Amino acid sequence: MKREVFRSGAWGLGVTSVLALLIVVGSRNLAHFDAALVAYTFSLLFATFGLTYRYSMWLSRPPTAMFWRRGWQALLRRPWGQGHARAWLSGMALDLLANRFLFRRDRLRGWTHLLIMWGCILAVAITFPLVFGWLHFRPVAGDLSLYQVVVFGFPAFRFPHDSAFAFFLFHGLVWASLLVIAGVMLAVRRRLRDGGAGAVQRFAEDFMPLILLFAVSVTGLMLTASYTWMKGYGFTFVSILHAVTVIATFIWLPFGKFFHVFQRPAQFGAGLYRSVSISGDQASCRRCGHAFSSRAHVLDLIEVERQLGYRYDIEGSEAEHYQWICPPCRRATFAAAQSRAWRGHRGGEPLTADRRSPPMPVYVNSGLGQGPLGEEDAKNRHA
Amino acid sequence: MSHPIQPPLPPLDRDTIREFGPTRAYGTDSRVRAGEEPDRRVKTHCCFCGQQCGLQLEVKDNTIVGVEPWYEFPFNQGMLCPKGVKRYLQQDHPDRLLHAYQKDPSAASGFRKLSYEEAIGRVAESIERIQTEHGRDAFAVLSGASLTTEKCYLMGKFAHMCLRTSNIDYNGRLCMVSAGAANKKAFGIDRAANPWDDILGAEVILVAGANVAECAPITTNYIWQAREHGAKVIVIDPRITPIARTCDLFLPVKPGRDTALFSGILQLMIENEWLDREFIEEHTVGFEQVADLVREWTPRKTAEETGIAEASIRTAAEWWGTAKSSFLLHARGIEHHSHGVQNVLSAINIVLASGRIGKPNCGYATITGQANGQGGREHGQKCDQLPGGRDLGNPEHRAYVADVWGIEPDDLPPPGVDAYEIMRKAEAGEIKGLLSICFNPVVSLPDNNFVRRALETLDFYVAIDFFMSESARYADVVLPGSLQEEDEGTVTQVEGRIVRINKVVEPPGDARADWRIIQDIAKALGRDQGLTFNDPGEIFEELRTASKGGVCDYSGVSYDRIEEHFGVFWPCPSETPEGVPEPGPQGTPRLFEPGAWNPIAKGAGPFYFPDGKARFVPTPFEGPAEDVDAEYPLILTTGRIVSQFLSGNQTRRIGPLVDHAPEPKCELHPRLAARLGIAEGDWTTVESRRGTCTVRASVVATIRPDTVFLPYHWGGRKSANQLTVSAQDPVSKIPEYKVCAVRVTKAEAPPEYVDSLEPQQ
Amino acid sequence: MPVPETLEFFVDPARCIGCQSCVQACTECDTHKGQSMIQLDYIDRAGSTQTVPVVCMHCDSPTCAEVCPADAIKRTEDGVVQTARKPRCIACNNCVLACPFGVPKMNSEASLMMKCDMCYDRTSVGLKPMCASVCPSQALAFGTREEMARMRPSATPVNTFRFGGQTIRTKVNVMVSADAPDNCIDVTAAMFDASTGHDVLDDVFGEVGQE
Repeated sequence: MKREVFRSGAWGLGVTSVLALLIVVGSRNLAHFDAALVAYTFSLLFATFGLTYRYSMWLSRPPTAMFWRRGWQALLRRPWGQGHARAWLSGMALDLLANRFLFRRDRLRGWTHLLIMWGCILAVAITFPLVFGWLHFRPVAGDLSLYQVVVFGFPAFRFPHDSAFAFFLFHGLVWASLLVIAGVMLAVRRRLRDGGAGAVQRFAEDFMPLILLFAVSVTGLMLTASYTWMKGYGFTFVSILHAVTVIATFIWLPFGKFFHVFQRPAQFGAGLYRSVSISGDQASCRRCGHAFSSRAHVLDLIEVERQLGYRYDIEGSEAEHYQWICPPCRRATFAAAQSRAWRGHRGGEPLTADRRSPPMPVYVNSGLGQGPLGEEDAKNRHA
Repeated sequence: MSHPIQPPLPPLDRDTIREFGPTRAYGTDSRVRAGEEPDRRVKTHCCFCGQQCGLQLEVKDNTIVGVEPWYEFPFNQGMLCPKGVKRYLQQDHPDRLLHAYQKDPSAASGFRKLSYEEAIGRVAESIERIQTEHGRDAFAVLSGASLTTEKCYLMGKFAHMCLRTSNIDYNGRLCMVSAGAANKKAFGIDRAANPWDDILGAEVILVAGANVAECAPITTNYIWQAREHGAKVIVIDPRITPIARTCDLFLPVKPGRDTALFSGILQLMIENEWLDREFIEEHTVGFEQVADLVREWTPRKTAEETGIAEASIRTAAEWWGTAKSSFLLHARGIEHHSHGVQNVLSAINIVLASGRIGKPNCGYATITGQANGQGGREHGQKCDQLPGGRDLGNPEHRAYVADVWGIEPDDLPPPGVDAYEIMRKAEAGEIKGLLSICFNPVVSLPDNNFVRRALETLDFYVAIDFFMSESARYADVVLPGSLQEEDEGTVTQVEGRIVRINKVVEPPGDARADWRIIQDIAKALGRDQGLTFNDPGEIFEELRTASKGGVCDYSGVSYDRIEEHFGVFWPCPSETPEGVPEPGPQGTPRLFEPGAWNPIAKGAGPFYFPDGKARFVPTPFEGPAEDVDAEYPLILTTGRIVSQFLSGNQTRRIGPLVDHAPEPKCELHPRLAARLGIAEGDWTTVESRRGTCTVRASVVATIRPDTVFLPYHWGGRKSANQLTVSAQDPVSKIPEYKVCAVRVTKAEAPPEYVDSLEPQQ
Repeated sequence: MPVPETLEFFVDPARCIGCQSCVQACTECDTHKGQSMIQLDYIDRAGSTQTVPVVCMHCDSPTCAEVCPADAIKRTEDGVVQTARKPRCIACNNCVLACPFGVPKMNSEASLMMKCDMCYDRTSVGLKPMCASVCPSQALAFGTREEMARMRPSATPVNTFRFGGQTIRTKVNVMVSADAPDNCIDVTAAMFDASTGHDVLDDVFGEVGQE
């Protein structure tokens, strides 16, 4: 067995055990544990193992490991005074909670994701504590109009069972499923209509999660409908159906698209690393002389490439490693190499440049900085 | 050094621009939304250059939302230049004229809306008044070569039959006329001699004064394709254009010296007997006089005059002289001269001397510039022309066309004057009224400070346009015309292939198809005899009859035949004399094939003269009209860039194209720049005796050090044509855009327009 | 549906005329409408008009994908290296810095890397990519090997590149002279080469107008 597999397995077992322990403690030795939900609990334990295992495996890849390490270093070394922390946190909050970066990609897709995301968060926030026995309600002795909320075995607050708050709380899953259904509809609509999406989408990766979410939400709604308006008609059947869809979703968590939920926060580590390294030494292109990245990033990348088995070292050249050449100069070099392969067969000679180092190539589009993507392109010169 | 009086600067027109643009349109809404299925795709052609690439436009709710290549169309097989890709953004454009306008000095923009009917009434009334008071010729018409052939035909008919004015001319005058005139002198017919497929098998390709990569990009692939099969490519140009960069032989000719170069090449061909004596003997006349004339053009003398190394001239002559097959392409670079016809004739002379014409892989062609540069110069909107390539001065031709039109030959006016002369006459007060369509003279004519003055002098000027062009700003009435995609018809592209333009969308608002507007004016004048067509198809039917028996014979062409065979090459007569085979389904792709019949030679030979022989025409060398001197020591040459088209009235409104090259730049060689103290990006003033223009410098080693270059697509103070000279070729009347004398200095301050105008304005 | 095996991409930058058709057409592609994935540079505009259009070369072993910490770049079974998968890309810029051909573009606003995916929506249904459809010089060409051999007998496709000690094999071919000595392009050997072209001064007597 490979080392990282063993290590990841160990992490998985460890984290799963901790969760199991917390369930036992939080439900006061299973006193508040609802035995009817045991299937849910076990599927979640399985998902926890899977997610942890995969996360650990993921972190063991050289580029991920590098970013993981550098991200934490950046976080710890960062000058956290003044507005820095606030700016970073608010940026993170906007991206994470309001999906700002998604809205920048596409407004409609931003809404789609926001609906699904908050629907799921709401559902998880309600159901997981219930499943684990961390949360339960009990009538208040002496005042039957009140409910006592018990969290992790500790009594929290009370509220009247006929209040608007109660209505809202007890129908929380209805709201969650409505949000998810709306989001899923938008997503499916796009996947069916957008030729571009159509070309690259795959059933397991792109449709399966949508189908699962939809099934969970609809069967959940059916439960509500059944006991609210239909006197519990077919309740047992629907609840089994619902359980099946939910459990399938949990089991699917570590494998498919849902894993991005756990990968996504890496964005902030990467961003942090970038913003910290940008203030450090810059790497200048060893062909044109222009700065094109932080020196630290280039050095890290060279290391990662070595670990991956790439050998972009250029022996006997002042450039040393191809990583020290900026992307525009790589394109120019590519063209120069192809020109060489035609020398003597087509007209034109290599022109002797007056300068010692060749100039940085420039976009043919001199309207750079204008038009919808102009600024982005300008930034891309040397990202 | 004496400084002449500071020439007048064009107005900035800020308020007019604020209302009418040019503003940049980008794809928005349904144009960028992914996954929107268009309602339909329409096969048509690009609206810009003379190659007329086939393409498909995607339509959704009367808006063109995108483009899809049309792979089956044989000429371009899906290939498009950036203009072709983004052309659809001109439709549904915020600047689009949706109403008629009339001049109103009290309005901020200078114009106020008026109803279409009212506008037509005003136009008719003004035409009537001017023609009654000052004679019929006092009202002139300027038309364009980007219109469909049907419209071009209608414009000629409108001027000659309805207005009965001599003074109609078109903007092909600025474009293809030198080649046309020279072709008629040498071959008796004005059309590319070969289809482009003949380029593919040529052994030597000589490209003279044609920035193929930027002005006719699709032709690049034909040339490269030939090179893959071993062809040698010779490029003659004062600038190293993208195709010159890797050509096999580059001849950096000094602008205005093309005749000298071709004479030198011909001299070497004669000296080394690289001639097809048999062809010269059997199929040409006049070789001896030409041979006598070029004898003086020794390589040494040619080198001195043209600025090209002797060795290169010798190599060019040898390659050309000894080739088994060849193709000579030229364009505005040798044509835009006060000796443009001479230049073209001298190029034709080396083709005729080689005998390599009228055979597979042996060809000659000018690359037409405008969409319908070919069709637009055939059917009677030129000042001396009638449909079918007939002459307005020829009694027989007059009688034929008068008969088709149902009038007396004497009712037709005599030939008139060329487009620039119309401006001169306007400035002199002889011409009082003007109707222009598809023409933006304020940007496109040389010495445009003069042109502005001429337009201001007019009593009445009506412009038909889909955008408020720089010229339309001078109009008393502006009528909203149609975009190419809002009407149907045919155009004839660079190879002489007639292709079909399909209607894609309806004209918006009050805008009408151009031919309807012209007919409405005729009707309001009460002179609509012969101008009551119901659709372009009817016009085409009449055009077939009117062109029948002429050199440009379309009589055998029909819309269906065009669509079925991806275009039909004229001449395509509906009937041929006994014993003469009918042209194939595609018409006549290659001219001058041995044994070919034509209505002039009537079987005597393949060329369009009574004896069937081609003409060698002597071309004594004369320099440009305005050469450099101590005061104006540099040559200014003007031209195009790939992302813009002609006066830019369309392309300066298409955002992605504007972004490519937002503003004109003055190209100059690093050595010259160093001497003038100018660095890349510096504001640089270029001055001639007629005007001054301040733009940024582009310091590049791809231009002769004695020459500077300005692209001419911009208006106002960025217009290169403030500087150019209105000297014209005596035969073709083409202006000399390619040479004038200027001086260049580093500007002390950025020009005033920088703060108030966007780059494209 | 996979890209038909017989259809391949052939690139010949020496044919390029810098017209930007590819750039403009790329923005018409349905997978990234309004944005161009093509890089088109002047190598040294002051010296020559040489331009280089760069589309993704679709490496057999894509460095961009391997250095991606988020597993966002996938290579399909038919060998097309896809643009970053949107849910995963964390905009770390590794791929932009690592790609030996300088292909990926970072859209930092959207926290997303985007790159050429060979118009997968078109090629997977047997259509040519937009850029290769429109390219007027056919510096970017898409078709069968047989077509290319017939149309370009003096050229031969190569898909192996050397960058220092690293050899990279790609799905996209580059056209070189049929007489070229080996079937591998040593890219880094040409690193300090100047642009190729004619020199206008070679032939001119150097007469510059006097003031």
